[in-house]
Amino acid sequence: MSDEHEHHTHPHDATVTTEDAGSQALAEALGSSFAIVKIVMVLMVIAFFCSGFFTVGPQEKAMILRFGKPVGDGSKALLTSGLHWSLPYPIDEVVRIPITEIQKISSNNGWYLTTPEAELSGEEMPAGASLNPAIDGYVITADRNIIHTRATLYYHIDDPISFVFGFTNAAVTVQNALDNALLYTAAKFNVDDILTRDVAGFKEAVQQRVSDLVESAQLGIVIDQCEVQSIPPRQLQPVFAEVTTARETRNRALNEANSYTNRVFNASSAQATSITNAAAVASANYVKSITSEAKRFGDLLPQYQTNSTLFVQQTFVQAMGQAFTNVQDKIFLPQRADGKPRELRLQLNREPPQPKPAATP
Amino acid sequence: MKRNFLTVVIGAVLIVIFALLLFVFQVRLSEVAVVTTFGKPVQNITEPGAYFKWPWPIQKVYKFDQRVQNFEDKYNENYTRDNVTLLASVYVGWKISDAKAFFPKFAGGSISAAQSQLEQMIRSAKNAVIGKHTLSEFVNANPKDLQFDAIEDAIMQDVRARLQTNSYGIQIEFLGFKKIGLPESVTAAVFARMTSERQVQISALANKGEAEAQKIRSAADRQASEVVNNAVADATRIRGEGEAAAAKVLPVFQQNPELANFLLRIDALQQALNQRSTLIFDERTPPFDLFTGIPANAPSH
Repeated sequence: MSDEHEHHTHPHDATVTTEDAGSQALAEALGSSFAIVKIVMVLMVIAFFCSGFFTVGPQEKAMILRFGKPVGDGSKALLTSGLHWSLPYPIDEVVRIPITEIQKISSNNGWYLTTPEAELSGEEMPAGASLNPAIDGYVITADRNIIHTRATLYYHIDDPISFVFGFTNAAVTVQNALDNALLYTAAKFNVDDILTRDVAGFKEAVQQRVSDLVESAQLGIVIDQCEVQSIPPRQLQPVFAEVTTARETRNRALNEANSYTNRVFNASSAQATSITNAAAVASANYVKSITSEAKRFGDLLPQYQTNSTLFVQQTFVQAMGQAFTNVQDKIFLPQRADGKPRELRLQLNREPPQPKPAATP
Repeated sequence: MKRNFLTVVIGAVLIVIFALLLFVFQVRLSEVAVVTTFGKPVQNITEPGAYFKWPWPIQKVYKFDQRVQNFEDKYNENYTRDNVTLLASVYVGWKISDAKAFFPKFAGGSISAAQSQLEQMIRSAKNAVIGKHTLSEFVNANPKDLQFDAIEDAIMQDVRARLQTNSYGIQIEFLGFKKIGLPESVTAAVFARMTSERQVQISALANKGEAEAQKIRSAADRQASEVVNNAVADATRIRGEGEAAAAKVLPVFQQNPELANFLLRIDALQQALNQRSTLIFDERTPPFDLFTGIPANAPSH
């Protein structure tokens, strides 16, 4: 302080006491230097306060820590995108937190040793007779089978305060939860449920377990999606494939049996309909013909009663005439003059004549 | 005079700033701190904010990250109660809850020193707890028998108790299995068992499929014949109804059975001589009796 006092007072005294031209020039030079220093100082003070302005982008949130303590309680401490101002360091500190972007975590703890490149090119290491626990991951199912399973989890940060200030490395914590979820869920499911029968149920259960774990750890994240892939051990791939083939064969046999059922049902119901229809038609025809017979009888009865002999003869001759027109072969065999019966020989089994169009009226 | 006043103000501000730097320290949101007086821990600070202290060398401040740290122990062998060798590794989330207790236990409050201590505790806790459970409590399709959560919880409680007795100032937030496996030689045996289980399934599927298909077919046949039989019964009933209806008409013919008989015979004759029949007749058959009758009758007319 005393030092500064001297700086200010010294040039002032000099201008008053010294008459020397050289000294005066020096004093003027010093005076203008101080003016420049003052301007610079003012500019620096302005810059110092302006440095408190900062912007928050759309993909992030920010928090001001005043003496290390967040300004505002809970979620009110979060600043949304836009221009903000804080006191300069060391009073305030601005912490930026990425929030809206979706984060991704994969668990390969239950998968055999491989790399994405090797997997794409199909040049994976061949499977040995057993799994080395140091390098090959797997999970044990409820029925004590060994399978490989892996998952990818998509999540976003919901509570940035606990995500950033609660965990040194929250992503690793999520990863641990995902690894645990695969182990735990596999321990609850039978191998066939995981691989074929209830793939969706297994996935749901994994996601549920991860949700429970991150919630109890208060990680402040929300799970968006979880993808799970499970395969039998590569060593047993052929025998598992055989089961699939056997199941398909069985399904095909059942399908064929079902289509046979449909066919037989359709045929039998068609047959049944035609039987009943035929009966109905025959019955109706019978009734109709009997009724018309009765009507004809009623019509003819008066004539018959008038002259029965004449009626019989007339009707008979008429009927015979009709019959003769319809008969194909007519052989007239007149009576021999001596009244003896003629001897007639019939050759049976002759070639039947070709049927001709009916000549019935 | 005015100039002097300004100078004094600036000087005072500078002194205040200097004093603040010496006497005040900040604890950030994610930190805890311990204040030592001549090397002896005296004050524990768990809330963020600005605090007062005597300047060095009287008091000193040690700050620690109080966020949850991740730690994962080695994947090592343990024995279950039913003598199965089970490889297991667990992860823990731990944090410094009491800096005053934590600081003197580990050289300068080193995190790695704390983690190696933690690892030993986890190993013994894991070993002890796994030894109390059978493998079927680790993996089981029946939720009642599955004790996965309970085992994890027991290990966590065990580690917590050990930390408590030693008062390390460490708190376990969560603990879970990271990896569970079997020794390499056992995996080969498991594969052999899995293969035989698959083969049982294959033969069961083949046999069952054929049997089920056969069952479906025979059921279909039975139902089909039932349908046809019902139809035949229906047809008989319909015919019966028709005959009953016809029977109501029959009394008409009773008026003159002779005529009725005659008409029936005429119809039958016509039906019989309808087509493709050969008729051999002589001149006595009407109307061909005309062949004999005309010469006899003509002169009389």
